[in-house]
Amino acid sequence: MWPLLQRFKEPLIVATLLIWPLISFLSSGHRGREPNMVDRALLWLASPIQGSLTWLVQTSSAGVTGYVALRGAHEEAGECRVELAQTQAELNAIREAKAENERLKAALGYVEGTVDQEIVARVVGLNPAAQFQSVRLNRGEEDGVRVGMPVTTPNGVLGQVVRSVGHSSDVMLLTDPASRIGAVLQRTRVRATVMGTGNPKRLDVDYVRLEDDVVEGDALVTSGTDGIFPPGLLVGRIDSVSRPQVGMFLHASLVPAVDLQRVEEVLIIPVTLALGGGP
Amino acid sequence: MKFVAFVALALGLLAVESVLAQALGLEITRLEATVALVIFIAVRGTVLEGAFTAFGVGYLLDVFTGRPTGLYPFLAMVNFVGAKLASQIMDGRSLLGFSAFVAVGTTVQALLALFFTWLTSRTLVGHSFSLRGLPLLIVFSVVVGALLYPWLKRLEPGEVRADPRALKV
Repeated sequence: MWPLLQRFKEPLIVATLLIWPLISFLSSGHRGREPNMVDRALLWLASPIQGSLTWLVQTSSAGVTGYVALRGAHEEAGECRVELAQTQAELNAIREAKAENERLKAALGYVEGTVDQEIVARVVGLNPAAQFQSVRLNRGEEDGVRVGMPVTTPNGVLGQVVRSVGHSSDVMLLTDPASRIGAVLQRTRVRATVMGTGNPKRLDVDYVRLEDDVVEGDALVTSGTDGIFPPGLLVGRIDSVSRPQVGMFLHASLVPAVDLQRVEEVLIIPVTLALGGGP
Repeated sequence: MKFVAFVALALGLLAVESVLAQALGLEITRLEATVALVIFIAVRGTVLEGAFTAFGVGYLLDVFTGRPTGLYPFLAMVNFVGAKLASQIMDGRSLLGFSAFVAVGTTVQALLALFFTWLTSRTLVGHSFSLRGLPLLIVFSVVVGALLYPWLKRLEPGEVRADPRALKV
């Protein structure tokens, strides 16, 4: 037996290295395994490289764009002052509405959920396999980031943490084919499921009945029913609606609120915020 | 030794690749460098060092995807075995031959990745979108491979190996 093994040592080793990952893949499927010691060590080595390179790229880019931006800055400053005045007026109105909302909540005995401090993180890299839509952040397990936490930007939802180790974590973007989010149309409160298409510029909307009122330009916000994303975060705007002759549901597509490939800073919402809340 | 050098190089390249893909705003394609490493070691290395190196490089790519499943070590090994067999009948040691091997390897990896993902997730429509970036991915891979080629040759041991075509004369 031993001489036979010795004789076919090379083909046996190659076959093992070929079959072992295939079996691992077929058994774990598309979900992925928990990070082991080797994975953690590799990510620990890669994180500083990615962080430094990102800093270098962003600093260089900021230097160039900063110089270019100086030209015409005076005109822009004037426009900004006008916009600021308008925004100030809108902000005052929102504050009034918020105060009224709080009074009404108090009157109804509504209890707010625990709001933990959001974790601010920087995007340090894109997943090198185009098939999966994910980005890497410079905050991880040791910064309080846990798998399943929702990730947002001031403009809207970005995705969900799928792996967190040391000082880095990976976020599955909304556009990943495996992504599903519970949403609601802001105008009509119709419930829907937003699904990733693999296309960074488009999302699909599913499980909206044919007779529901949905038009192009409608905003979709998170419904909070998926137990992951807190309600009220902007997901995107409907850009096309079609109503097939057969079936129960209409077909609609959505443009994400966030440019998912170009986002630089994000907010990670602690799970207690997402799961808490509600009357 | 070569295993350590190639895996360390792959780690550095993947880190750079992910930052550059983000900085350049690449949406449906990537700057793929790992295929070039696997092909190079398959064409120029011994069976065992090549197999372990290909597995190591594929494992790294798998870790970098954020959801390691074992798919990329498997695909790296498929590319390794394919390139090793093909190099018996075709020249993969010259720059031109190497570039052709990298182009084929990138295509095989992308198509098999799509097939196996469909096999387990059944969401072909979403994953197939990445195929739109395949032509650009092949171009990027070949360019990156050609740029890496002279550097990879420096990792070769000192001895000069005979050109396989010369043996036939």
